[in-house]
Amino acid sequence: MTSMSSLQHTNEQPVVRIIDLHKYFGSLEVLKGVDLEVSRGEVVTIMGPSGSGKSTLLRCINLLEKPTSGQVWFDDICITDPKTNINKLREHVGMVFQSFNLFPHLSAKGNIMLALKKVLKRSQEEAEQIALDQLAKVGLSDRADYRPSQLSGGQQQRVAIARALAMDPQVMLFDEATSALDPELVRGVLDVMRELAKGGMTMIVVTHEMGFARDVADRAVFMDEGVIVEQGCPEALFDNPQHERTRDFLGHII
Amino acid sequence: MIKVNKHSTASSTIRSILVTIAVLSLIVCLTAGSTQAVGLTINKTTAQSNQIVGNNIIGGVPTRITWEATVGANETVKQITLVFPEGTALGEGANSKATVLDDLTRLDAPQTSTISAEQTTVTFDEPVASGLLIRIEMYFIALPEASGEYRLTGSYVDSAGKERELQASRAISVISATTVDVITLWMDDQPWVELWNSVLFLKVFLNPQLIVASIPALFLGWLRSLLLVLVGFPLAIPIGLAISFLRMSKLRIIRFFAAIYVNVIRGTPLFLQIYIAFFGLPFLGISIDSYILGILVLAVNSSAYLAEIFRAGIQSIPKGQFEASASLGMHPAQTMFHVILPQTIRRVIPTATSEFILLYKDTSLLAAVGVMEQMMFAKSMVASTGNMTPYIVSAGYYLLITLPLTKIIAEFEKKLAAADDNSSAPDDKKKPKMSLLERMKSIQKIKALRNKK
Ligand SMILES: Nc1ncnc2c1ncn2[C@@H]1O[C@H](COP(=O)(O)OP(=O)(O)OP(=O)(O)O)[C@@H](O)[C@H]1O
Ligand SMILES: [Mg+2]
Repeated sequence: MTSMSSLQHTNEQPVVRIIDLHKYFGSLEVLKGVDLEVSRGEVVTIMGPSGSGKSTLLRCINLLEKPTSGQVWFDDICITDPKTNINKLREHVGMVFQSFNLFPHLSAKGNIMLALKKVLKRSQEEAEQIALDQLAKVGLSDRADYRPSQLSGGQQQRVAIARALAMDPQVMLFDEATSALDPELVRGVLDVMRELAKGGMTMIVVTHEMGFARDVADRAVFMDEGVIVEQGCPEALFDNPQHERTRDFLGHII
Repeated sequence: MIKVNKHSTASSTIRSILVTIAVLSLIVCLTAGSTQAVGLTINKTTAQSNQIVGNNIIGGVPTRITWEATVGANETVKQITLVFPEGTALGEGANSKATVLDDLTRLDAPQTSTISAEQTTVTFDEPVASGLLIRIEMYFIALPEASGEYRLTGSYVDSAGKERELQASRAISVISATTVDVITLWMDDQPWVELWNSVLFLKVFLNPQLIVASIPALFLGWLRSLLLVLVGFPLAIPIGLAISFLRMSKLRIIRFFAAIYVNVIRGTPLFLQIYIAFFGLPFLGISIDSYILGILVLAVNSSAYLAEIFRAGIQSIPKGQFEASASLGMHPAQTMFHVILPQTIRRVIPTATSEFILLYKDTSLLAAVGVMEQMMFAKSMVASTGNMTPYIVSAGYYLLITLPLTKIIAEFEKKLAAADDNSSAPDDKKKPKMSLLERMKSIQKIKALRNKK
C-alpha cells in the first residue's frame, strides 16, 4: 500500500473489493492472502513472474476459480457467498483470455451474438446490430462473417474483446491478452484496450507491456508467490521500486 | 299306404317317381363304388420345379410331369391317355414314358407312346395287371403361362377294350413367370453362362442366374437390415449422449454406474447380449416383437460405444471454450448445447460414422434369433438352392452402404485436418507463420528470462 496518495481514482466505493483471498490447488497455496480494491473507471495492471498467481487472482474475480477462503465483492454483492447467482454476476464482468477462446464454429459476428441472445435474451436483430457496432469499434467491420480460423491472432483477440464488451460489462478482466500474439499484431489489440480505458472502463489487466501500463494504468500492481508485493502509480513502481523482488523482476523484463 | 291309395292318381305318380329315383341312385352308387374299386387309383401327380430358385413351377416353361396310378383289383390297363390342360405347349424333345412297378421292382413294359400339345397316349403291348403301379413321366411339357392350379384328366382302356374316364389328377400349382424368371431361364440356355458355370468356383460362388435371382429376392432383407440400423442408431445417440454426461458427472456414484454400463456392454459380445435379451425377456413374461427387440438391443449396445465417443469428443474441446462461455454468463447447459456440442459433433462425425458401419454389419447377428433381415433372406435362399451365390450378393448389399460411408469418413477427416491447419487469416497467407509449438517455445523463453532471479 505504498504511494496511495498518488492514485487518481475517485473516492466512491470500490467496484471490486478483494479481501484476504486464499486459494489452494490441493496442498499448493497459490494465493496467500490478497487484498485489492479497484474503483470505478480505474485501470489496474498486474505484473509478476510466471506462477505468481496473477491468472488465478483474475479468475477468482469471476469465479472461474473458487477461492478457498476470503471474500470478493462486486459493488455490494459478495460473490463468494454461495447464494450469489454467479451467472448473473458474470454478465457484468467481461474477461479476455490469453488464448482468445473464440468459438470456432461461429463467425466473428456469431461469437458476439451468442451470449446476447442466450443470456441477455436479445432478439436476433438487436443482437446482430450490437455485434456489428462492437466489431466496428475494434476495427473489424469487414470481418463480421469470418470464422476465427480465418482471422489472425490479433483480429481474433479483438473479436474476443468485442464479444466481452457487447455484454456491456462494468469491469473488464484481461489475462495476458497480447502474450500469444506475434509482435506486430500486439499493437492493434493494445490500441483497442487504450480506447477502452479512455472511455472510462474499469479494467484489471494482467500484462507485461510496460509501455501500455505507463500510458494507461492508474495503478500498477506487482505480485510474487501469491501475494501483492508492491503497488502504486506506474511511474513510481517502474522507476523507483521499493522491493528487492520488484527490482529483480523489472531488471529482467526491461 | 292305405290312406295314400285313397288319394288321387297324382300322388301315386309322385310315389312311383320317388321309387324310381331311389333305385336309380342305388345303382349309381354301386356302380360308382365298383368303378373305384376296380379302376385306376391316382396316387400322385407332380411337376418338377423348373426354377433354380425356389420350388415353383413356372407356366410356359418346359418341366417334367410325373403321374402315378395303381391298377385296381380285377382290372387291367391296356392304354392310358392323359389330357393336358388347355394352353399347354410342348418343349423341344417332349416325350412321355411309362414305367410299371411291382412294389419296388421295375417290370418290363413294352409300349408305344404318342404325345401332342393336347394329350399323351401310352399303349402297352401287354395289359398291365391289377395291383401294379403305372408311372408316366412326361418330359418338356410347358404348362399354361397363366398362374393357377392345373389337373390332368383323361381316360384309359382296359383289356376288354372298354374305355373309361380317369379321375382328375392332383393339382399342380403353376405361377406365371416374372421378369427375373424370364432372364434366368434365358440365361440357362446361353453358352457363355454354361461355360462360366463349368468352372466349379464360379458356379458355386458367382452363379450368374443366381446373381440375377438374388438381387430382387434379397432386396427386402436389405431394406429390413437397413431399417434396423436406421432406427436403432438414432435411438442410440440420445442414450449415448446422456450416458456420456453421466460419465462426466461431478458425483462419483453416478460416474461409477455409468462406467459400469459402458464397460459391461463394451466388454461383452453383442451376440451374447442378443441371446440374453431374446431368451431372457420371455422368462420375465415380457414379449416384444422380435424386430423391435432387435432394434432395442442394437440401440443399447451402440449407446455404450457412442457414450465413449461423445465423452472423448467433449473432453477434447479445450477448457478455454468452457471458460469463455461461462465468463459470458452462460449456464452450463447453454454452454454445452451452444458451444461444446456443436464443436463436438464435427469432431465425432468420423468415429460415430464408423460406429454406424459397425452396427449396420452387426444387424446380421440378429439372424441367429430369427429376426428377418438380410442374412436370413440369404440363408434361406442358400438353403433352397444349395449355392453360395446369395451370400456373395448379400455381401454386395452390405458394401453398397459401407463403402460409400467409409469414403465419406475419409473425406470428412481430410476436411477436418485442413480446417485445423487453416488457422491463419486470408491476408496473412503469404508470409510464413510461426507454428503453435514454435510460438509456445518462444513465449516460454521470454517467461523463463523474466523469472530468472
Ligand atoms: N487448475 C490448477 N490446478 C493446479 N494448479 C494450478 C491450477 N491453475 C494454476 N495452478 C498453479 O498455480 C500457480 C499459479 O498459477 P497462475 O496461472 O495463477 O500463475 P500466473 O501468475 O498467471 O503465471 P503465468 O504468468 O505463467 O500465467 C502455478 O504454480 C500453477 O501451476
Ligand atoms: Mg497466467
